[in-house]
Amino acid sequence: MSTKHTSDGYHRLWDRFRSFRRELTERTPSLTRSQVAYLLISPFFVLFGLFLLFPIVYTIYLSFFEYQGVGDGRLFYVDLGPIFFEVPRIAELQFVGFGNYTSMLADGLFWQSMFNTTYILAIQVPIMIGLALALALALNAGFVRFKGVFRTAIALPVSANIVAYSTIFLILFNETGFINYLLSVVGVQPIEWMRSEFWARKTIVGAVTWRWTGYNMIILLAGLQTIPQQLYEAAEIDGASRWEKFRYVTLPQLKPVLLFVVVLSTIGTFKLFAEPYVITGGGPTNATITIVQYIYEEAFVGSPNLGYASALTVVFVAIVSVISIVQIKIGGDD
Amino acid sequence: MREQRRKDAVWKFLTYSFILVMTVAMMVPLYWMIVAATLPQEEFIQFPPRLYPGTHFFENFAVLHAETEFVVSIWNSVFIAVVYTVLSVLLCSMAGFAFAKYEFRFKEPIFYLILATLVLPIQLLVIPLFLMMSQIGWMDTFRAIILPWLANPIGIFLMRQNMRSIPDALLESARMDGATEFQIFYRIALPAMRSSLAALAIILFLFQWDLFLYPLVILESSANYTIPVALSGLEESRRINYDQIMVASSLAIIPLAILFLVLQKQFVSGILAGSLKE
Repeated sequence: MSTKHTSDGYHRLWDRFRSFRRELTERTPSLTRSQVAYLLISPFFVLFGLFLLFPIVYTIYLSFFEYQGVGDGRLFYVDLGPIFFEVPRIAELQFVGFGNYTSMLADGLFWQSMFNTTYILAIQVPIMIGLALALALALNAGFVRFKGVFRTAIALPVSANIVAYSTIFLILFNETGFINYLLSVVGVQPIEWMRSEFWARKTIVGAVTWRWTGYNMIILLAGLQTIPQQLYEAAEIDGASRWEKFRYVTLPQLKPVLLFVVVLSTIGTFKLFAEPYVITGGGPTNATITIVQYIYEEAFVGSPNLGYASALTVVFVAIVSVISIVQIKIGGDD
Repeated sequence: MREQRRKDAVWKFLTYSFILVMTVAMMVPLYWMIVAATLPQEEFIQFPPRLYPGTHFFENFAVLHAETEFVVSIWNSVFIAVVYTVLSVLLCSMAGFAFAKYEFRFKEPIFYLILATLVLPIQLLVIPLFLMMSQIGWMDTFRAIILPWLANPIGIFLMRQNMRSIPDALLESARMDGATEFQIFYRIALPAMRSSLAALAIILFLFQWDLFLYPLVILESSANYTIPVALSGLEESRRINYDQIMVASSLAIIPLAILFLVLQKQFVSGILAGSLKE
């Protein structure tokens, strides 16, 4: 008896719900297209504003302050009866104007990290782009067989986790590691890779090159395949040599892609963090500490100089943006 | 003529040698990882080292498993990356569809604002995010790792560019048939975007999978570590040797390498899509 009764109750409730829903849909006009658009975009934009726009503005703001600890209490609150929320004070701050920026000028470690990053960049990017271009050209040559196999093998490091591959390089370049073994086979004295400024930087260069050469090769290969075959045929009729075909057909045609790859790699290497953090720890004696690593250490290791670290971030981002904008300007000329 | 043929042969030889040397160079670190992971410590640190793999992988894994929470970290990384990818693909394609196919106020300025953030290295927003997360009590949580990167500028940009290729007539005829705007989105727009969605999913998955600096700052307890954070900590642990670290690295690299081999086409289109930001 009682079960039947409740089951009836459910049915009645369900019917009422359905008629209510029907009424509701009939009474409310269907959404206009712009309302739908707002609905589609709002989740993205809320998160974008909260976690991207606000942090950008706040980083700039913070760079004019000295950080003195986590804020307590609240900045303001909204109390509308049922709706109540408060925005906490984010941090205790002391205004220092351009103080953080001026102390950067006299900060030896800042300049050291700038130098290290530029040094690694200046060696690593040309080597990697050179190798990637040579590989793309080789794998694009008509006579090469098993292209797919080679391309896959060379591009495989693309899937390697950054920290995982860094630990592999740490072990490869260990004093009793495989690289020193190879050297001993050809009769070279083992090198203390992590103890020498010169070799520690080269280890980082080698690691980054290993990880990203295949990536750039894929982009360049796609670029090569868009070059019309007729251009090469025409050049052959004119009796162009292999070098001339490369110099006067491939290079100019590939220029936008090549430029793009150079900028992408420059920015990528500029952002270097995980590799020196894991492989060298920034050493020996800060010879491989990069800008991002320095920002991390200022902000999160020891006493947190979040204001100063923010100023460093602003300078760093400004440099990266300038590189990007220069690229777009140069690329836009064509 | 014979001169020319000889030159060609030399050229072919050089090209093949270069490709082979580079292929071997790319394989060496991965091979060495496997050698180290499968040898007991004594055999690995001897000099000259043993050059071929052993059978000690599971013993090394047992030590790693007993001394650390690395297996949990693998689960954490997979969980975070999958949830992030699914949510972000959904969010980016919704917003991208709106930007491609609807008119609304401030459409242009908002889009240019998003475009402007494309050039920024967004991983560097660590400091304000750290302060925000510690204020709202989200330190050491997965949501703090996932939420900030959901609104990915590259994602919305790619989706907007690709969604524009859907013919308006198709959408219009669906409307005539009485489809609601949401049905148009998930019945017509999303299926038409299948290959772009796959490419975007790979970009986003790798972005989250490789995120290191940010989780290093946010995650505090080892039970919540992601793979990169856990790996970077292993080196300092005294009870862990290089063999075990290499087992951990293998576990971090090999699944993704297999995924790369299986989904190579999607990886390549992901790389190309991510590179064609302009």
